Amino acid sequence: MVPVEYYLLLSSGLFCIGLFGILTRRNALYFLMSVELMLNAANINLVAFSFYWGNLTGQTFALFAIALAAAEVAVGIGIILALYRNFGDVDVMQAATMRW
Amino acid sequence: MSLLQIEPTSWLFALSSLGPTVVLVLSALAVLAIDSLSPDARSNTRLAATAAAGTLIALGITVWYLLAGTGQPATGGAISLFSGAIVVDGMGLFFTAIFTSVAALVVVASYDYLEDDANPAAFYSLLLFATTAMSLMAVANSLATVFISLEMASLPSYALVAYLKTNRGSVEAGLKYFLIGAVSAAVFAFGISLVYAATGSLLLPDIATAIGDVTDLAGILGVGILMVAGGFLFKTASVPFHFWAPEAYEGAPAPVSAFLSSASKAAGFAVAFRVFAEAFMPALDVAVDWGLLFGILAVVTMVLGNFAAATQTNVKRMLAYSSIGHAGYALIGLAAVTAGAGANNATVMGAAMAHLLVYGFMNTGAFLFIAMIERWGVGRTFEDYAGIGRKAPMASMAMAVFMFSLAGLPLFGGFFSKYFLFLGAINAGFWWLAAVGAVTSALSLYYYSRVVKALWLEEPTGNLDALDSKPTGLYAAVIVAGVITVLLLPGFGPVIETAEAAAAAVFA
Amino acid sequence: MVTAFDYVPAIVLLPFVSFVVALFIGKQLPKKGAYGGIAATAGSLLLSLWVLASVAGGGAHQETYWTWAEGVGSQPFTLEFGALIDPLSALMLVIVTLIATLVHVFSLGYMNDEGERDLPRYYAGLGLFTASMLGFVIADNLLMAFMFFELVGLCSFLLIGFHFREPGPPSAAKKAFLVTRFGDYFLLVGVVAVFATFGTAAFAGAESFPALAEGALDGTVDVWTPGGLDTMTWFTVVGLLVLGGVIGKSAQFPLHTWLPDAMEGPTPVSALIHAATMVAAGVYLVARMYGFYALTPTTLGIIALVGGFTALFAATMGLVKEELKQVLAYSTISQYGYMMLALGSGGYVAAVFHLTTHAFFKALLFLGAGSVIIAMHHNENMWDMGGLKNKMPVTYWTFLAGSLALAGIFPFAGFWSKDEILYEALIHAGSEPLLFAGYAMGLLAVPVTAFYTFRMVFLTFHGNARSEIARNPEPVRWNVKGPLSVLGALAVVTGGINMVPVQKVLGIEGIDYLHLWLDNHWGGIEGLSSHHYAEIDPYSSTYPFGTEVATVLAGAAISLALAVAGLLLAWKLYNVAEPVEHTDKLGGAKTLLYNNYYQDEFQVWLADRTRGVSGGADTFDQGVVDGVVNGVSSVSLFGGDRIKRIQTGVVGNYALLLTVSLTALLVVFALLGGWF
Repeated sequence: MVPVEYYLLLSSGLFCIGLFGILTRRNALYFLMSVELMLNAANINLVAFSFYWGNLTGQTFALFAIALAAAEVAVGIGIILALYRNFGDVDVMQAATMRW
Repeated sequence: MSLLQIEPTSWLFALSSLGPTVVLVLSALAVLAIDSLSPDARSNTRLAATAAAGTLIALGITVWYLLAGTGQPATGGAISLFSGAIVVDGMGLFFTAIFTSVAALVVVASYDYLEDDANPAAFYSLLLFATTAMSLMAVANSLATVFISLEMASLPSYALVAYLKTNRGSVEAGLKYFLIGAVSAAVFAFGISLVYAATGSLLLPDIATAIGDVTDLAGILGVGILMVAGGFLFKTASVPFHFWAPEAYEGAPAPVSAFLSSASKAAGFAVAFRVFAEAFMPALDVAVDWGLLFGILAVVTMVLGNFAAATQTNVKRMLAYSSIGHAGYALIGLAAVTAGAGANNATVMGAAMAHLLVYGFMNTGAFLFIAMIERWGVGRTFEDYAGIGRKAPMASMAMAVFMFSLAGLPLFGGFFSKYFLFLGAINAGFWWLAAVGAVTSALSLYYYSRVVKALWLEEPTGNLDALDSKPTGLYAAVIVAGVITVLLLPGFGPVIETAEAAAAAVFA
Repeated sequence: MVTAFDYVPAIVLLPFVSFVVALFIGKQLPKKGAYGGIAATAGSLLLSLWVLASVAGGGAHQETYWTWAEGVGSQPFTLEFGALIDPLSALMLVIVTLIATLVHVFSLGYMNDEGERDLPRYYAGLGLFTASMLGFVIADNLLMAFMFFELVGLCSFLLIGFHFREPGPPSAAKKAFLVTRFGDYFLLVGVVAVFATFGTAAFAGAESFPALAEGALDGTVDVWTPGGLDTMTWFTVVGLLVLGGVIGKSAQFPLHTWLPDAMEGPTPVSALIHAATMVAAGVYLVARMYGFYALTPTTLGIIALVGGFTALFAATMGLVKEELKQVLAYSTISQYGYMMLALGSGGYVAAVFHLTTHAFFKALLFLGAGSVIIAMHHNENMWDMGGLKNKMPVTYWTFLAGSLALAGIFPFAGFWSKDEILYEALIHAGSEPLLFAGYAMGLLAVPVTAFYTFRMVFLTFHGNARSEIARNPEPVRWNVKGPLSVLGALAVVTGGINMVPVQKVLGIEGIDYLHLWLDNHWGGIEGLSSHHYAEIDPYSSTYPFGTEVATVLAGAAISLALAVAGLLLAWKLYNVAEPVEHTDKLGGAKTLLYNNYYQDEFQVWLADRTRGVSGGADTFDQGVVDGVVNGVSSVSLFGGDRIKRIQTGVVGNYALLLTVSLTALLVVFALLGGWF
């Protein structure tokens, strides 16, 4: 059996990849996908430790998390669409009229 | 206790205990129904009336429950529903009262703000759904319900901020709010998964029990708690998760800014208070000294918010930063918590809750005044506000009340809440928090009085003819908020007593 | 039976009613609310006199009217509104209501007759100002006192900035508000500290904080101190925090800068601010909680030193001012310095005495100045006046009485009180050398005071008229002359309430009425008597001139001689409208030339010297003190400007900063918690 620590390493790796994507990508859609990666890192933990602790709480919660991620993407795409209409691009760095 | 081992819960009992939440969600659905039954009719009045009725009934029920002692020690303590995933108690009701009051004010004010809007139903329903989710946040007793209700509150908020979809500012604000929110949600979820990894449960009381047995996973638990704290910091607009706030509040329609900076912030604190007081108290000695964490962040937040506000030229953005500063004050409620100091903890957290209530009225009022100015199209900077006091004396008087109350002058409600907060912090031995709070309050008087000075003492610079129109709903909301802000000075006794009793029950 | 004490709330509420009336229906009233204000303050005055009589009849009174918040759970504080009527507050009530009534009457002449705009706002402000001060005076606990203290500050802001359409008044009002607020934040922290330490802020009774503090120092009572600090050290800190608010309100160095600017307000308001309300509030607060201050020698020493220094420092600046009200402004700062010196030297009675006499003669001087300003069509420059003596005799003679009192010339009111302050400082200097410094500065300020006071009198009223307006001044009416006459009489006779030197020298017992009054001779509240304060303060008396009588006589002689010297110098230098012909007849040519030469040279020399010294003081004031205050605000604003640059507007940077901060927190707490 795979030791449970390995799942922690896997999920942390996935989380960091997502974070890296957020910090380097200017395209709003890539930004969204990176967030999805980070959320899925959490899901890996939940499922793995659900098995480790022998209860179903984690797995159930993971289902909720997946549903919420989908809802989040729906709202996100809507905002990105409005961004495209107003700024003519989906570059997140370009919308910077308000500052200081 | 897992979700599979379902204890029988009487649905009727559950629904009546969650009365405010049920009323809110029903009114949101009613708004949608009205709109879909007559999609072509411009029915702003009907929609606003429905939404206002929903929020006011929910507020009424909440206050009734609070007075009747529902879920409080007087009637047998907290009501636990759905296998303990939800708990109705004094704290939950106290915060629900804040959300519903703010939502009612915002709905009434939005009636005028949305007068020329094509589709006001979307606005009202989003607002009501967000309020529903906040009322759930206040009673969430498991990290699962906390996460879900928090996201349920955030998603409509993103849409509300970007509601003016042809306005570049609004869209930019929505985008920034959404992106930072998404990152924070991911951090929050990951934190929850780590806490689950370390303790094997998501129910707050079970986590508290399990923390004692955590040995080699203490580090995992510590990282998890820090990341969970991150999720709350986002919701409350505290450093370092505050970056979205100045832009979101500045760009969003002003009623939405009012709603987010008052209700949404309070909701963040509602869950934060409950989660940290109920679940993570034992972790103070085991994994991470989160009291110190919140202490540091409270100081940084107070300093950053107030200092950055001092040099703003745009009034709305100044209020946005001041809202960050006030998050710092409320954070004292968590920062001054120490293990084994039961009564002091409840005192200071109760004071923070009372501050959030007073803040709910004065800050909502201030942003709604800005909404009125936006409707008049006068301008955004301090110079544009010059001389408005003579054209619109009632509203400007109310704004002066909000500003002085926010600064903590001893004539209005804001004085006592700050006073009790600082007093509580000193009593708990955290005089340095109170000192930073007092110094930043002194600074805040500078930028708040700039608004009053512009309104009352300066000669008008531009044309103020637009002020001849009197938006009834906005006026009503601003005046009501002003009156309550003043009344909260003599009426502060019951408020602080309720808040402290509620906080004491959570710590018990 | 109905007693006077049942009407105590009415004393506060009457002016408040006049505020409400003037605010809402002032426009419809004859004289725009002035009569209402006069009626209300006069009613308060009558009630206060009744209260005073009842206290003299053996009564004292403490009553809680309203409890804000009961103590709940671990919060054992009850916040209350109540009245404390003892000899001190009864006396103060009479002073405040009397001055307020006279100021209202005077305003009829100064504001109504001069055709000012917005009078309802003016009378509303006066009413609220009076009401807040009266509420402050009767307060029976520190929190209530603090709230009314703030209200007083707010009202002064509104009244100083009354002429908000001109550029000067709004900025002066803002300065007054901000500078006093700066002090008030210390006071706020002090109030919180008092609550945290004692769990109560009551002034009187066995459970009051001065009584508990006394017990704590004796070791019979346990109190909280931060970090287990020594109780004496902590009490000193608390005392100094409260003192911050006092220094701001009573315009003591270094927070005095707002007061001269506050002259931008209407003159009757200045009279009210300086004589009876705002500035007096600070000193009154120290007197009110003197049982606490007397316990900590360090605080007393600091109070004495600040007071003495302020007395001298402000007096030197008064020497070079050219505007009538500016001279009076600096004299106020200086005189309140004397009161602080008295409080710091254990002279509780002396301080209250000077507070009383000063209230009368300074109100008189301001109202007299107001009368001159009416006559001069609002030109305040003394170099444009001169020769007004014969044109306005009532103003002149009353102003002269006030000036003699201010200069401390026997037998006017100011002589007795100032002399007692210096006497207290002198005899206690043996046990606390700091007091000697205070005494020396206070003594040095005496001739300076006399000099600038009479420089002002001579320039304004004597000599030849130096401008067209001064030759044909506008006449003033009864509503100006009436208050002046009342105050003029008081400035002459008030010294009679406390003739301690006469008692000591001639051995007549029982004419030191104020001493007996404040010592609960006729009635009062246990623990609030001057006798009790003398027992707990750290001073003992030594008589540097041998016996007590000798010291009394010597002290009085020195200060009177110095005052007269200052007066005579002013006479020489400034009472010289047509001096050449006059002195020509008197002496021989040589003496005349010598004297002329000497006089001119000395005048130039003295003017240069004083200009150097007081100009230097002025520069210090404007440059360093203002500079520090401004510096703090610029640094804050600069800091704010830097801090907000973090918010670059680019959301990618936000994500980066967020990640970096979170990582930093994780690392710090990982190290602290020893996770890995």
